[in-house]
Amino acid sequence: MMEWSVPEEKRDSLSLLLEESALKGSKRKTRYPNHRFLGILCSYFPEELIMAFGLEPLRLLPDSAQRTPAELPPFSCSLARGILDMELQGRWEDLLGVGFVHTCDTMQCLSGIWEFAGKQNIINMVPPVMLKAAGANQYYQEEAKRAWEQLQRLTGHEPTEESLREAIRLCRRIREKVNEVEELRGKLPSPLTAALLRAGQLMPRAIYAEVLDEVLPELYARAEESGSRARLMVTGAVLENDHLYAMIEELGGRVVVDDTCTGYRHYSGPPMEESSDPWYDLVKRYEDMPPCPCKNQSLNARLEYLGNLASRRQVEGAVLVIRKYCEPHAWDAVPLAETLQNRGVRTLVLELEGADVGGQERTRLQAFLESILENRSSDSEGRAQA
Amino acid sequence: MTQKTQQRNYRPLRSTDTLKKTMKRYYILTGYHRYWGKPMGRRIAWVTSGAPVEILRAFKIHPAYPEQYAAIYSTNKATAQLCQVAEAAGYSQDLCSYARSNIGGVLRPDLAPLGGMPKPDLLVACNNICGTVLKWYEVLARHFKVPLLVLDTPYLTGEMRSQARNYVLEQLKAMVAELEKITGRTLDESELEKQMEFSRETTGLWKEARQACQSRPSPLNAPDLFIHMAPIVVMRGTKAGRDYYRLFRDEVREREALAQGAVENERIRLVWDNIAIWPKVFSFNKMFTERGACFVTDTYSGGWAMEQAPGTPLESLAATYTEVFLNRSPEFRTKQLVQLIRDYQADGFVMHSNRSCKPYSLVQEVIRRRVMMETGVPGLMIEADMADPRAYAEEPIRNRVQAFLETFD
Repeated sequence: MMEWSVPEEKRDSLSLLLEESALKGSKRKTRYPNHRFLGILCSYFPEELIMAFGLEPLRLLPDSAQRTPAELPPFSCSLARGILDMELQGRWEDLLGVGFVHTCDTMQCLSGIWEFAGKQNIINMVPPVMLKAAGANQYYQEEAKRAWEQLQRLTGHEPTEESLREAIRLCRRIREKVNEVEELRGKLPSPLTAALLRAGQLMPRAIYAEVLDEVLPELYARAEESGSRARLMVTGAVLENDHLYAMIEELGGRVVVDDTCTGYRHYSGPPMEESSDPWYDLVKRYEDMPPCPCKNQSLNARLEYLGNLASRRQVEGAVLVIRKYCEPHAWDAVPLAETLQNRGVRTLVLELEGADVGGQERTRLQAFLESILENRSSDSEGRAQA
Repeated sequence: MTQKTQQRNYRPLRSTDTLKKTMKRYYILTGYHRYWGKPMGRRIAWVTSGAPVEILRAFKIHPAYPEQYAAIYSTNKATAQLCQVAEAAGYSQDLCSYARSNIGGVLRPDLAPLGGMPKPDLLVACNNICGTVLKWYEVLARHFKVPLLVLDTPYLTGEMRSQARNYVLEQLKAMVAELEKITGRTLDESELEKQMEFSRETTGLWKEARQACQSRPSPLNAPDLFIHMAPIVVMRGTKAGRDYYRLFRDEVREREALAQGAVENERIRLVWDNIAIWPKVFSFNKMFTERGACFVTDTYSGGWAMEQAPGTPLESLAATYTEVFLNRSPEFRTKQLVQLIRDYQADGFVMHSNRSCKPYSLVQEVIRRRVMMETGVPGLMIEADMADPRAYAEEPIRNRVQAFLETFD
């Protein structure tokens, strides 16, 4: 699937990131025996808190969309079903615990089910849904401190505030590096960028930062204009593999905007300030990051952000991925499609069981990309006639 | 007893006539709001069932409940068609059927019973019942281009946390300021206290009537609870609502004193968990009544029997509306169900795994197992939908219910 060539001397660093992305953390015990991981399920759990305790955040991803634990009804998403089933099979048993945040109703329910049926320690954090509501910042800070206390009880450690500042700095450094990759996104194969960003949610963060540093010069060297490829946006929840990105690339598209939980949305947002109050800095970052559909900064904040991003990156088409039974993204698909269409961006709503794409999706994507390319040629014909 | 009720093995309530009149008046007031609301300077708000309506009433705002209308659409067999309208507009069939049918009714009021809902002046949502209401009301706010006020009540993983209480309180203060701007009125605290007193009294009467069902035979069955809960949802905080429940409570007490059961020859006592299956509310229940099974209580309509928390009016509202059972952990809900089974001496329980309501349904299986373990009574799970009849599979459900009821023979 990976068609780009990598010089031998750079193969190791890049291969490591690609492998980590493909392994989804499954070899963590053998690859990183000296590191202890703590599972997370959502980008709104501040990774900095976990890292301040010397732990590594691991985004839990399912290994199959077909898992059906009896504890969840069939109308729950395959992400929840998959990771719960893996928990029941003891696949996360080496983790110190799992951090849940209230995002969608499913994730919130999952924390309770996990507590009842699972084997892991749980850290619960309930960030505000209305991120700009009166009292939201203060409340979010107090919830972050509650998570901190839960981590203290779990680890038996009491890290200093300086440890938190160090974790904030490391995360900021990672986000800066990822932003560099993001700048190159249009010039790099879509599955490569997706894999690089996902790797940063699955491996020890200090190692990720270091390896990404090593890889960046090579990415700059290999970056090239996408030529006639259709410029696409992909938006949705978690995508645990690169199948969709690879199919888009294969059919002549290029993902120039990736607004998925496992993609750029996880890292995006204004640069983190460093004031005298690390708790304020921490929460400000999560409050101001581009919102997912479960959060509200203002009525149309997400639509405006994505609309502006699409214009800035000259997006021609948007693939709105809805994981089956994922309500927040299904809700937003309607106004988002309208917003993008009003800006001249064609849209395709793709409902997937998991992250895998098959023949039906190929046909739809192919037709979608062809319509974009045809539109492009009719536009240029129109201009020529004018 | 009429031929029809004999077939149903079911005793009708006298107060149903008053209920119909009370609700009819409410629907007429709501439906014709444009004729009286504007002249009287009274706005109309669409609100979620768990919103702090007492504040709105204190600002002379008339509340209308899309969830209530959605239940009416469903019992009037209009939901499937309305949902299809919303689905054609892009809304997934996997989304809440109340929301889909409401949006369908907004887009095609000609297809909606009661002519749909009158256009709102503002929208008020509280996410104590689910995250869906935020997304649903965002759609409505964009469509109607009216202000959307959201009360964000943090999910309680355990007991109420002080930071959650303070956060909700801050938002309530901000909501008051916003309503002052929107209505041009100043909050009259005595008026708010008056509304809260009506609420407190109404809730107390509802609770009292429900508790009478601990008697054998139970004076009420689930359809009674589902039908007679309408005023406590839409008329909480009103004198008319309070007056209705006085009448209702008296009749239930009378039945209790006379040992008149809602179901003839009550043989099996059950607890219901989740929203009613509105399109089949009577035919589904008939499968139980004809075998002498009565739903003596339920978790759904019991959600409106909550006691007001102490404190100033706003402090009380902050805690009361955050602590609703759907905003709480499976641990809390397990304890609640175990307690109901004990208090009402139930022989079993039935859980409706409701495709439209994830917060209610996703945790039910782990609760079912725990409750069965703690009480020793059997629990049945059936899959359906609160409003969309397309999700109701008649025969598989009948088979499951029959097999379940046979275990009591």
